[in-house]
Amino acid sequence: MHGHSRWAAALVAAAVIVAMAPPASARSRHRGHRANRANPATQPAQVPSSGMRSNDESSRKMSEVANTGKAGWPLALGVNDAEAILGKNVHSSTGEDMGRLVDVVVDIDGRPRAAIIDFGGFLGVGSRKIAVDWSVLKFAPNDPKGNVISVTLTRDQVKAAPEFKEGSPVVALGASASPPPAPAAPPQAQEK
Amino acid sequence: MTLSIAPQRPGGPAPDDGDDERAAAPDRSLPAVIPAGEPPPHPSRASLRGLDWFVFFVANVQTGFGPFISVYLTSSAWTQVDIGIVLSIGSLVALLGQMPGGAIVDAVPSERLVAAISVALIGASALMFAVWPIYIAVLGASVLHAAASCVLGPAMAAISLGLVGHGGMSERLGRNARFAAIGNGIAAAAMGACGYWLSNRAVFVVTAVLMMPALVALAFIRPGEIDPERAHGGQPEQPPQRPLSSLWQPGRLRPLLIFSASFMLFQLANSAMLPLMGSVLTMRSSRWASVLIAACIVVPQLLVAAISPWVGRRAQLVGRRPLLLLGFAALPIRGVLFAVIHDPNVLVIAQLLDGVSGAVFGVLVPLVVADVTRRTGHFNLALGITGTAIGVGASLSTTLAGYVSDHAGSETAFIVLAAVAAAGLACIWTLMPETRPDDERPAREESPPATAGA
Repeated sequence: MHGHSRWAAALVAAAVIVAMAPPASARSRHRGHRANRANPATQPAQVPSSGMRSNDESSRKMSEVANTGKAGWPLALGVNDAEAILGKNVHSSTGEDMGRLVDVVVDIDGRPRAAIIDFGGFLGVGSRKIAVDWSVLKFAPNDPKGNVISVTLTRDQVKAAPEFKEGSPVVALGASASPPPAPAAPPQAQEK
Repeated sequence: MTLSIAPQRPGGPAPDDGDDERAAAPDRSLPAVIPAGEPPPHPSRASLRGLDWFVFFVANVQTGFGPFISVYLTSSAWTQVDIGIVLSIGSLVALLGQMPGGAIVDAVPSERLVAAISVALIGASALMFAVWPIYIAVLGASVLHAAASCVLGPAMAAISLGLVGHGGMSERLGRNARFAAIGNGIAAAAMGACGYWLSNRAVFVVTAVLMMPALVALAFIRPGEIDPERAHGGQPEQPPQRPLSSLWQPGRLRPLLIFSASFMLFQLANSAMLPLMGSVLTMRSSRWASVLIAACIVVPQLLVAAISPWVGRRAQLVGRRPLLLLGFAALPIRGVLFAVIHDPNVLVIAQLLDGVSGAVFGVLVPLVVADVTRRTGHFNLALGITGTAIGVGASLSTTLAGYVSDHAGSETAFIVLAAVAAAGLACIWTLMPETRPDDERPAREESPPATAGA
């Protein structure tokens, strides 16, 4: 019943690097990932290639630190600037529960290209892992309401997306059609 | 942790249950030659109700350890790789531990004590999950849970057999299956609510706390009424020359192996069916998918609760084979229905067939194993053999279904699972003998249509 064991780490870098890695070192050298329908210049929102967990040290209230700092010094990020995202809930812009972020797909330059979301199900039964384009994700570190990650897609758009599989091309949802979203995932959009 | 096994609770629920001394003593003094016609034991009401609720609360506790673990660990910022490793190790232990677990239960003098220890260990592992979701603790907890479950399963069957004897076993197992199903159904609903409104961690806290009423219920079962010899399937007529030789006879081993192989095929088909169907529901129906999946989990349990006592009684009246055929036949039908039905709501109705198979599975597995291990002293070891086969089927099931559905789509996967289930049905139909002993056939039934029920 536990088929997760195939989650070998081959192509995907886990998103969270705990605490304070210098950003320059957080580059992934894995090749071969292409978020197929992504526009090449995905703008990584605030956080570049790695999520930083900084809220453990509340003493470091350094909200003005540039998170793209080039220096090889430890990077400090204020609590409202960055937050670890692995395992966090993802909401749609209308507040629907979209599941949890379980992984991040990066390209050869270490830029995040897609997020893997574990979507749907009940008590772990029947959930599907779906890739969404990184550019449709919005981040609000330490949002008071807990909506750290939101996505500009609806459940109806996400539900029929092809399941993310380790080792096969990543088909990420989103990006193509932005505001009046009809990104027409694969054919099965029948019932409901 | 195991203190609450104190022999009697003051103020048990049944005010007077009389004849416990009478129940425990007599059969051992009888010459064991009299086949299974020992005077039926008369366990007290307190013991029987205690067993009811013990089964109920254990089912509660075990529900927390399902696929929900991976949801919980995901929310604790675990990577999918680590979750996969931990779960795989846990299922490997659960598989390899089946036979040793059964052998332990066969060897111990007090089934109650091992049951209490394993429930306490399972509660402890739930607590470890809740308070300490770091790698080494979770790995330890999942190994602990798997190992303890390998002992707890046979221990519950042994307590049942030790209390009621072979003659009362089919009815008792029907009751056990009812209480287990109610426990599973309620726990799945409650834990869904708990995870939704409180937190995923709270689910494991609740799981750990439920260990307490399980131990209290166990304490109501009077130790004197569980005859250890009976609980192990009764002693062989003459002491065996070699260990296990009482079980290793063609007349016993062959039906046991056929039965185990059939149930391996059953689980190979069954295990992946619900998850795969859930994934199809998630894909087809966005808003109600989670509710429909919840219904698919809970509703069959209600059906199991409703019909398993009937299954137990019918097993006694018409024999085991007709019911096995019924339970095995429901599975391929369900697979085919899942393949052809596209309306999510109708899928939930088709899922009711799972309740039919589930009731047969819950009652007949321990019952048939008890049949074929009479007077061997190895009832629980044999349960472990069957459990291993079932576990192998279950763990290969997801792989098989996942592979087929990746390459050929979920409809094909359901058809393949249905074909596997049909093979299991054929195995029961053509090879499996009736195992109900002659002396349990109801007196009024004249002709012996042992296998005619097909």
